[in-house]
Amino acid sequence: MSYSTVSGGPGLETAAVTAVQAGRRKPSRLGRRKLTFDYVSFIAVFLLLPLAIFLIFVISPFVQALYYSMTNWTGFSDVMGFVGVDNFVKLFNDPIFLRAMLNNIVLAVIVPLITIVIALIFASMITVGGPSSGQVRGLRASSFYRVISFFPYVIPAIVIAILWNMIYTPSGGLLNGILGLIGVQDRPSWLGDERTAMGATIFVIVWSMVGFYMILFVAAIKGIPSETLEAARIDGAGRFRTVTSILLPQMRDNVQTAYIYLGIMALDAFVYMVGLNSTGGPGNSTLVMSQYLFRTAFEKGQFGLATAMGVVLAVITLLFAALVIGVFRLIGGKDEEGRA
Amino acid sequence: MELKDASISRRNLLRGAATAALLLPFGATLASCAAPSGGGGGGDKPAGDVTADNPFGVAANSKVDAVIFDGGYGIDYVENSAKIMQDNKKLGGVSVKVSSSTKIAQELQPRFVGGNPPDLIDNSGANSIGWNTILDQLETLDDVLDSNNLEGTKISDTLFGGVKAPGTFDGKFVALNYVMTVYGIWYSSSLFEANGWEVPKSWQDLKALGEKAKAKGKYLFLWGKEAATYYQTMVVDSAVIQAGDDVRVPLENLDAKAWSHPAIQGILEILHDLIASGYVKPGGGGTQFTQAQAQWSLDQEALLYPSGSWIENEMKKTTADDFQMKGFPELPLDTSQTTPAGTMRAEAGEPFIVPKKAKNPAGGKELLRTMLSKESATAFAKNKLAPTIVKDTVPADGFGSTALVSQSEMLAAAGENVFTIKSFNLYGMNSDQLPIWNSFLDGKMTVAEITSQLQALTDKVREDSSVTKIEIK
Repeated sequence: MSYSTVSGGPGLETAAVTAVQAGRRKPSRLGRRKLTFDYVSFIAVFLLLPLAIFLIFVISPFVQALYYSMTNWTGFSDVMGFVGVDNFVKLFNDPIFLRAMLNNIVLAVIVPLITIVIALIFASMITVGGPSSGQVRGLRASSFYRVISFFPYVIPAIVIAILWNMIYTPSGGLLNGILGLIGVQDRPSWLGDERTAMGATIFVIVWSMVGFYMILFVAAIKGIPSETLEAARIDGAGRFRTVTSILLPQMRDNVQTAYIYLGIMALDAFVYMVGLNSTGGPGNSTLVMSQYLFRTAFEKGQFGLATAMGVVLAVITLLFAALVIGVFRLIGGKDEEGRA
Repeated sequence: MELKDASISRRNLLRGAATAALLLPFGATLASCAAPSGGGGGGDKPAGDVTADNPFGVAANSKVDAVIFDGGYGIDYVENSAKIMQDNKKLGGVSVKVSSSTKIAQELQPRFVGGNPPDLIDNSGANSIGWNTILDQLETLDDVLDSNNLEGTKISDTLFGGVKAPGTFDGKFVALNYVMTVYGIWYSSSLFEANGWEVPKSWQDLKALGEKAKAKGKYLFLWGKEAATYYQTMVVDSAVIQAGDDVRVPLENLDAKAWSHPAIQGILEILHDLIASGYVKPGGGGTQFTQAQAQWSLDQEALLYPSGSWIENEMKKTTADDFQMKGFPELPLDTSQTTPAGTMRAEAGEPFIVPKKAKNPAGGKELLRTMLSKESATAFAKNKLAPTIVKDTVPADGFGSTALVSQSEMLAAAGENVFTIKSFNLYGMNSDQLPIWNSFLDGKMTVAEITSQLQALTDKVREDSSVTKIEIK
């Protein structure tokens, strides 16, 4: 293997290396560094351009959105009037929007929780759930389960939503057909019933997400040295104890990232909701903010108000991420001070 | 060796990144956002000479850009008219581009803001542009009706009564609705005959019919989740048939007591009773609406379905053989209706608009004039089994369609006694009403609850100062 000498090969003279070397030759203050072409192009490509792209495509739309959210723009003309925070006041007095917000929050709490727990169980089964003699390994044919459970993630969300929409159809749908075969008399109408609509929706989202997060966790577990696992086993730890005391603490960062990703997805959830229950569900039981935003903009022609909803959604998303990071830091233990 | 290979590819990668990074800003200048930029359009429009054969002065060799909603009626009927217009020698050669769209509002929003809207738009479908947002940007279309059609008759003399009403807002006629739509309750006449059932005459008859249906293992009504508000249409129209403008005007103008009118309440009570008695097929709130409609038209699980006359065309492929679809107007509450017998909701649908800022508004109007010619209108009726607003295009046999014949009969019986309901679409209220109706039809709500929820939506629009209200007479 010729990878052993990584440093200083002739082929490594990239702009970065040259720039660093240039800096080393003349250890002066930052402002007086010699402006070689390499150095300038390095700064241009790696600092200014990304910054410019970030400003143009990320920051400026944010600022624009903030401004539009304080206007009464109808979306179909070039005239708009500034109305201050009226739109936000209106939103927080709108029972339908508040219902949508509540639905989103329920999703953001429950979907990541269930998904991560199931994904963790599956990942542990595949990696450390195998026979308790010999090398620590997963169940038999674990790679087969790994592939199978990844399938739903490969299907686009809208297809999943339409697929389950049909499975859930009260008469003629697959689910109630099976329930009928096994003799269940009182078959619910799933998406058409306020009591079951949200639960059925959450199931679909979890179903589609578990595979990916399982793979993510499998990768994280593979990164844990097998010596640790074997030592734990020699000390008499069972599978459950291994998972809670060895695996979980070492993959806290992965779980945290997964929680935030899933939460952001659940705060949006637009595609799933539109495919499963485009009307917002009976009694708005599955209406989410992004759906209501879309309606307000394109059906009611209130783009200003819709933008305000977008701003609220963005703020909630940021708060959610901050909250999750905060909680994980709290339970993360004091032994890991200074970690990001 | 391997190391060197790796480094070369890394260097190439860097170069690539640099090139890409340099190219991106150009992309940025090319990309335009939906932000209002003002201006555009207006001003220098091509103009031709105004003659009897070219009443709007379409410039020779000009281009016409039409965007048509691709829904139940497709877009080929406009393409046919476009062909006739292109072949019209008296215009000096124009080319017409007809594009289809299923999301009118989303696709055309940037063009409206940018001042570059098409010359003719069929603003229809679930994603149509809300009227109160674009009214002041539209050309009035009175001159189209005042002009002569291709056969030389004044167009306004060839149309059904009341066709201007649905396209008139604040006294300005800005949308020409092309297709005549009849709102009714549809059934299989062969099924009714085979069982000796009679068509109900008022809401009082429905319970007895529901019992008979149940005896046969069928339901009276069924619904699908996206179309739950068809039942709202039925309730509201029925109440208007019962009590006339007394119900209609307060509803249209968002009155604080609009939904408490005794006629609406009486009908809601009966509907609630029908639901509680199990005459409405449960589970509609979880069923996609065309699937639900197929349970009516193909499986014949329910006797009646309230809908507009597009239903025949919509379910053409999923209708049982020998279904013999027929319709009757929505029903009065009881025998004491205050409107003349035969009164029904019939309105022209598929609203065509010509934006003021379009490049060639005259061309848009000329295309409309072509569509209103006898030739185009007859072709539409024949292909789509639906009448346009042009009279006398449907022969007595309705091109073999029983539904089309019963539409003609209903229209003939109604004469001038037709009405429309505009406010729900005008203020984009349908999607907020859908969840309420899904709950009510599912038997989860009392009459008092649905009344207060629908009234709350009405009140919200009325009290929202940012929504432009339009008085409806």
